[in-house]
Parts: sequence; C-alpha cells; structure tokens
Amino acid sequence: MTDETPSTGCLLTARTVPYHHHLRFECTLGNLHLHVGPAFEHPWSILFGPSGSGKSSILRALCGLLPNAHARVFRGDPPGEHNIDLTPLPPHHRAIAYAPQQPSLFPHLTVRDNIAFSHTIRSRPSSPVLEDVLSLFELHPLLDRNPNRLSGGERQRVNLARAFAVPDAKLMLLDEPFTGLDLALRDQLLPRMKDFLAARNIPCISVTHDVDEALLLDAQIFHIDAGRITMHGPARAVLAAERERLLNALR
Amino acid sequence: MDLAALGLTLRLATVTTVLLLILGTPLALWIAGCSSTKSHTIARRIAQAAVALPLVLPPTVLGFYLLVWLGPARAPGRALIHLIGHPLAFTFSGLVVGSMIYSLPFAVQPLVLAFQHVDPNLTAVAATLGASPLTVFRRIILPLSRTGFLTAAVLTFAHTVGEFGVVLMLGGDIPGLTRTLSISIFDQVQELNYRAADMTALTLVAISFAALILVYWRSASPQAIDA
Repeated sequence: MTDETPSTGCLLTARTVPYHHHLRFECTLGNLHLHVGPAFEHPWSILFGPSGSGKSSILRALCGLLPNAHARVFRGDPPGEHNIDLTPLPPHHRAIAYAPQQPSLFPHLTVRDNIAFSHTIRSRPSSPVLEDVLSLFELHPLLDRNPNRLSGGERQRVNLARAFAVPDAKLMLLDEPFTGLDLALRDQLLPRMKDFLAARNIPCISVTHDVDEALLLDAQIFHIDAGRITMHGPARAVLAAERERLLNALR
Repeated sequence: MDLAALGLTLRLATVTTVLLLILGTPLALWIAGCSSTKSHTIARRIAQAAVALPLVLPPTVLGFYLLVWLGPARAPGRALIHLIGHPLAFTFSGLVVGSMIYSLPFAVQPLVLAFQHVDPNLTAVAATLGASPLTVFRRIILPLSRTGFLTAAVLTFAHTVGEFGVVLMLGGDIPGLTRTLSISIFDQVQELNYRAADMTALTLVAISFAALILVYWRSASPQAIDA
C-alpha cells in the first residue's frame, strides 16, 4: 500500500481501542504532508489548527468527496484482520456521516424530511434513532418548517441532526459543529452529543479552532500547522503547550 | 384550416419533447459537470458547442445533411434502412429525428443551466447520507431543477411546432404524413389562400404565446412550487 504513496502524501492512522474500531487513512491533498503513527485512541478526536491548514479537506477526503485526492481508508475489527479498504467505495457506501461547515440543508424539504433523508432513501421512514436525534437537538418545534425560514443556529442544529440520524454510521465527521450556536447551547449540546455517539460506538472526528470546545470534550487533539501535525495527545496536554507557545510569542 | 397538419404538428412536438427530455437529461448532467468526476473539461466544452450548433446553422443546412446521411446513398442511412426496413426520409420517424437534432439546444441548455444552479454541497451531503447517484438525481437534482425541466419542455415543444426548413427538407410536403402547420401556411400562401393562412398563423401564434406565458409564469415564482 505504501509503495504507491507519493512523497507529498499524508498518513493518518486512527484507532479507537475501547470501541474496537480501527481506521487508517492516507491521502495527498496538494502540498499537505501529514504523518501520524497509531493514535486516535479516543472516541472523540479533534483536528485543531489555523484556517487553511487542510483540516476540512481531510474530512472531505475521508468521506470520499475529493475525487482527485489520493486517499486510502482502512477500517477493520479487530485491526489488521478484517481490514476493509474503503478507497474504491463511493461516498454513499462508506457509512461515514458528515456534517459540513456550511449547513447545506435541502431547500425543497422540510426540517423533518431533511433529518429523515438517510432513512427515507433506505425505505425506513420511522426509526427510534430519529426520535432520539430530534430530542437531542431539540428540534420538535421546527419539524414542519422550510430551511429558508430557519435562523443560522437552527440550521446548524438541523445539519448536525441530519448527520447524527444516519443509520449504521461507523464514523462521525463534524466540521466546526458549533458555528452559529451560542455558548450556552454549545455547552448543553456537547456532553449529550458525546453520550449519544458513545452509546452507539461511533467514533467522532471534529474540526475546530476553539480551545474551550476541545477542553470541554476532553478529546484527543491533532494540532495541524503548515500542513503537518505538530502535536498530538490529550486536549489538556496539547493545548497547554499551545498556550505556552502563544505566551512565549507575546513576550 | 388543415386539421391533419395541426394534429401531426402536435404529435411531432409531443414525441420530440418527450424523447429529447429523456435523452437530453444525461447529456445535460454531463455538460453541467454533475457526474461523479469533473474531468473531460475540453470534451464537455466541445459537446456544449455541438449542442448549440443548431441555433446558428440555417435549418435547411441541417435538413440537407440529414436527408443525405439518412438516405440510401450513405452508410448510416443504409444501416438504418437495413435495421427498420425503410428509409427515414419522408416519414414521421424521419421528422422526429430531424426535430430532435434541430431542437436539441432548446432542451439541453435550460437543463444545463438548472443543473449548474444546484449547490454541489447538497449533492455531496446527500451522498454521505447514503444516496446513490441515481437517488441524488431523483431526490435532490430533479426537484430543484423543476423549473428548468418545464422551460426545456415548453421551449422544445414550441420550437418544434414552429420549425420549417428541416421538416421541408427531410419530410417533403406529404399531406397527412409530413405536412406540418408551418409548411401548411407556406402552401396556403402559395395558393393565395390568405384567409386559411391567417387562421393557421393565428393558431401558431396562440400556441407559442401560451407556451411562453407558461414558462414565465413558473420561472417567476420558483419558490411557489416548494412553499
């Protein structure tokens, strides 16, 4: 596998031990060059770093949305034995749920139909998961609204709910999931989202540049800068070093 | 008025519109870059120019080439005669083929525009939610391009109703078989029967005007469909 990896390729290996979930990912994204050894041993991982460092592109490549990216994704349980090469699979066969940074709600469908989209196309219009998701994001009052009649924060909640509702998702990817949400709502939603995913053994990779969010989640952090992973580890350790670095820069 | 010509014209326009929408949709999807890969940019531009060619070519040129190439003198014509047992020229099927090529830009261009207006983020998200390309088309692209389909259908229909050069070259002027309304007017004027020509002309104006009102009515209120 590695013999075809170009010099500019990135290797991101993800493993979540408590969930028996192994994910390995290699890709070429322009001049982005990343290399990480076995990591992602946490159910929630965060790609952290400045704008333009390639965080969102990594998520899109994982979903299979960057056709020109050289990407290999392996998933298996246990690692090494039942590895599935996801690379040749189109996005709709990857079982990777994705909430993009721009909500991108389907404008011709109501909130209810947007969230139930992944169920409707599988001919499973009603499911207990849907009800759980609606309660999680408190969307019951908005169900019959059209997306063009929602506020920015409401749109973002529908966007997240639509990704959380995907049946049989094996991985959750959230790109700046709390854009447009106020802090109180974020602090209320975060632990509930974490519990929801943990209860269903779905590991999550999110993108943020918010230190508070990373600390609240107590996630595994990958600090990306200038196309490289400069630091990785538990949120407290990585972000303390980041704070130190910023303070030194100010002196 | 020549009722046989009216019936034939409406039948020709309906068949042409239905076939062009079916065949033009995949072509428009490809030209608009809605397929899974955005490659073949040069090929797509060439196809777009080829689709627009009937807009600038004199219809008689198009009709002439079709008459020659679909006739027994050339290989495609011979293959077709072998396949269906008779030449296409001077038949209704021949008129359908000619009309489809002549009206191709009127079907494909509104569809290309409509497909290009569908936010690619929507189709990408739909794919991550588990929708196959066909489902994405059926559930996202198609409902968001309804106005484009209506415009394409109405323009194709109206343009086919009004065509003259191609039909005359390819179909001749056989009453009841290939004589359409626009040819009928020409014949009536040749016979100095201005009263009949007036009726026929008025019918064509009415059909065209009604079609355009329908297009502008719907395209002026795209939200009305969804609300």
